[in-house]
Amino acid sequence: MKPPRELLEDVLGSLAGARLRYADIRWTATHQQHVKVRNGEVDHLSANVDHALGVRVLVGNGWGFAATSDVNEESIRRAAKRALAVAAASNIASTAPVVLSDIEPHVSTWASKFEIDPWSIPLERKIDHLLQATEPMRGDPRMQQVAGEISCYRQEKLFASTIGTFLDQTTTEMGGGIEAIAIDGGEMQRRTYPNPFGGDFQAEGWEFIERLRLAEKGLQIRDEALALLAAPKAPAGRFDLIVGSAQLALQVHESCGHPTELDRALGLEISLAGGSFLQPNMLNDFRYGSELVNIVADATIPGSIGSFGFDDDGVPAQRFHLIRDGMFVDYLTGRDTAPAIGRKSNGTVRAESAARIPIIRMTNINLEPGTTPVEDIIRDTKRGIFVETNKSWSIDDLRLNFQFGCEVAYEIENGRLGRLLRNPVYTGTTPDFWRSCDAVGDRASWQIWGLPNCGKGDPMQTMRVAHGAPAARFRNVEMA
Amino acid sequence: MRSEQESQEILARALGAAQTSEADAVFIAVDHDVSRFANSGVHQNMSDESASLTLRVIVNGAMGVATTSAFDPDELARVAELAREAARHAGPLQHFSGLYREGEPAPQLRTFDEATALLDPAAKAHDLRAMFDRGRERGVTFAGSWSTATASVATANTHGVQRYAQMTSSDATVIALSSGASGYATRCARSANDVNILALGDEATDKATLLVDKPEDLPPGAYDVILEPPALSEVFEWLNMIAFSGQSFDDGTSFFAGRLGEQLLGRNVTIADDAVDESFLPFPFDLEGLPKRRVALVENGIVRSPALDKAYADRLQLAPTASCWSLGSSEHGSSFHMAMDGGDATREELIRSTKLGIWVTRFNYVNGLLEPKTALMTGTTRDGTFLIRDGEVVARLPNLRWTQSLTEALNRVEGLTRERRRVGTWFNMFGGTLAPTVKIAGWTINAKG
Repeated sequence: MKPPRELLEDVLGSLAGARLRYADIRWTATHQQHVKVRNGEVDHLSANVDHALGVRVLVGNGWGFAATSDVNEESIRRAAKRALAVAAASNIASTAPVVLSDIEPHVSTWASKFEIDPWSIPLERKIDHLLQATEPMRGDPRMQQVAGEISCYRQEKLFASTIGTFLDQTTTEMGGGIEAIAIDGGEMQRRTYPNPFGGDFQAEGWEFIERLRLAEKGLQIRDEALALLAAPKAPAGRFDLIVGSAQLALQVHESCGHPTELDRALGLEISLAGGSFLQPNMLNDFRYGSELVNIVADATIPGSIGSFGFDDDGVPAQRFHLIRDGMFVDYLTGRDTAPAIGRKSNGTVRAESAARIPIIRMTNINLEPGTTPVEDIIRDTKRGIFVETNKSWSIDDLRLNFQFGCEVAYEIENGRLGRLLRNPVYTGTTPDFWRSCDAVGDRASWQIWGLPNCGKGDPMQTMRVAHGAPAARFRNVEMA
Repeated sequence: MRSEQESQEILARALGAAQTSEADAVFIAVDHDVSRFANSGVHQNMSDESASLTLRVIVNGAMGVATTSAFDPDELARVAELAREAARHAGPLQHFSGLYREGEPAPQLRTFDEATALLDPAAKAHDLRAMFDRGRERGVTFAGSWSTATASVATANTHGVQRYAQMTSSDATVIALSSGASGYATRCARSANDVNILALGDEATDKATLLVDKPEDLPPGAYDVILEPPALSEVFEWLNMIAFSGQSFDDGTSFFAGRLGEQLLGRNVTIADDAVDESFLPFPFDLEGLPKRRVALVENGIVRSPALDKAYADRLQLAPTASCWSLGSSEHGSSFHMAMDGGDATREELIRSTKLGIWVTRFNYVNGLLEPKTALMTGTTRDGTFLIRDGEVVARLPNLRWTQSLTEALNRVEGLTRERRRVGTWFNMFGGTLAPTVKIAGWTINAKG
């Protein structure tokens, strides 16, 4: 099914015309397998294969994009003609000149690494693995649901462009996790491991699932879910807040990753996702967080689902600071947006599949580790709250005002973790929150978390991104 | 879009490849054009022609599902084997009585509009250009998107049930921006004639420019709110996930669970799954081939039924609701045509009846997972939030963060408009939400959002 390079380059050649400034063709084959067990039964078993080919052209100042799921020569050539027609339509109603940042041509092959191919593991073993983890969690009548999921993902991608780039990339990923839902009367509590919504995801093979050790964690989350039913509600008021690595990863996603997307800042995503409070005139001149806060975009981390060889503009994967020592220093950019701030693309443009237009997406957006062991941060906290594992997330359209709910919290009194608390919710505004950061956990508490469900674009594109974060402390945060 | 004959031939080949006594399949082909615009210019413009086939097989009472976008014999055989392998490893479905076999006639509904199917990107671009020009005259810029689609949807199963429908849609969202303020308008319809992009631009502009010289703040507290249909649509989408789905009912996390027949919401609250109302976004069958009918989810405040696929209707021993929009999905049913009954008021009457309150155009980034048993949700307002004092709209408010239990709020509905509007949803190509504007007392505002 993989179309030959010669065909893609021939189609690109056929597009040449007086006003054609640029064109590229992408092909993707996306394979997915999902297994879910629930309360001792197989709840969901599915396998998907999606083939897509997309042609993107820039004619004058109008972009045109056409895609097809029917990947044969006739359909590809027809899609190319449709892309030109769409670009002609864009020229009727596009007003701003399109400027593309320079790029070198690349011919390259890239693939993520794995030890054990996810598809080499029989379904039966995946099911058994989940049942072994979840069956011991059952028994208590309040344990309404125990569930486990394993996901396999592979995307093969070809990219050819009129500047002579030809790329062949393959990403293989696995995800897995377990869940316990306890209900007693009107009270419901959910605990998950290692994360909700399918667990954690890495660009690895079956070895990642084994490393999760789901069976060893089941009873722990069951007990926590049951204990939360009777735990006191997390108090409202202002507290010193220690945010665990998994929750802080989502905080980074919502309040660091999205506002540093340049397309949002330029107003290009207002209609669906919104804009950004971080405007270009604030570059290098805005204190986003305390001096301890260093946010790095790094698409080169081996084994993470936010990594790749080249983005969907054909720009090599890169590592760069977005926030350096608390100062806002860069955006995530693409070839058609970077010139607006006088820079070159830093290679963050991706599409869910070849059937969608590439747009700026997060890669691995990480809070760099500090130097303080988490135990020392807790010991140094007189009165506070420790929160972990996301339950609920909401942030305004400029990425300023946020509210997060977590699965679990612990009271901190005189440097020690105390009582378990249920339904913790904290809220704030992005710069105030990050400026209040006065302790960042060391490398030992730093972990990278895969989020395979970041939504953006119209039609909505679900992108696979990741965030590294340690635990960190924030002073005087409002708990709702 | 594919013809009925071509679609059914592909389905027949897939069912043949299944090699099981029970199987069903869905073939959907969509031609989708989306023009996105920002800063009063089209910046993304796409045309996607896609098709996909989902095959579900039943082996010894267990289900397996596989999906593909290629339909040659080799690929169909491979997909069938994947589905059979999945089914062989799955356990039998509880109380499952088999795939749908009755084959009652599906309702005859107008789902296709020829003019919409023929609308090309250039025609849309000319209309958008006209809107941009008009916006310049009024000092606003526009962002948004206008999507038009033509689709064919076919289902078939080994019991001889076959369905086919062609469908068009037009869905536009316009945001007007002016001096730090914004306004919003949206429409969706089966016919592009019912989506007037220039009128949407005017509506959004009116909102963006209203009371920009009279900003006020509001302290946290409980306020009467007047929620327009796009705001209600956001919270209804969450109710669909956390309360109305077969999965949430079965796992007990829905506030419906164990409470069917009880009065849990106000008597003036009726919410139905209604794909047969031709003034909404009609569609004649679900993807298991069951004919659509109006199903009350909440009737005069009494909870009646979750939205179920057939497997979970059987499992829960409830009447089927024809609510399967993905074969074998984890939601096990979802309302894709959520319609709230209106009342007898106008929006102006609701405003006039409010001593101190907030008029809300839409919500942003709602999340319904705080406490699902009470449908406690949070979100912010966006693109037009206004203060009402003594029955008059007197000031423009900033965006506001709110946190509110919907089971409580829907017991405090003080008025509903007669007029209802359709609101599209990004994940739902078949329907959306049909809602009036409602007035709800005591909505909890937390902070500036």
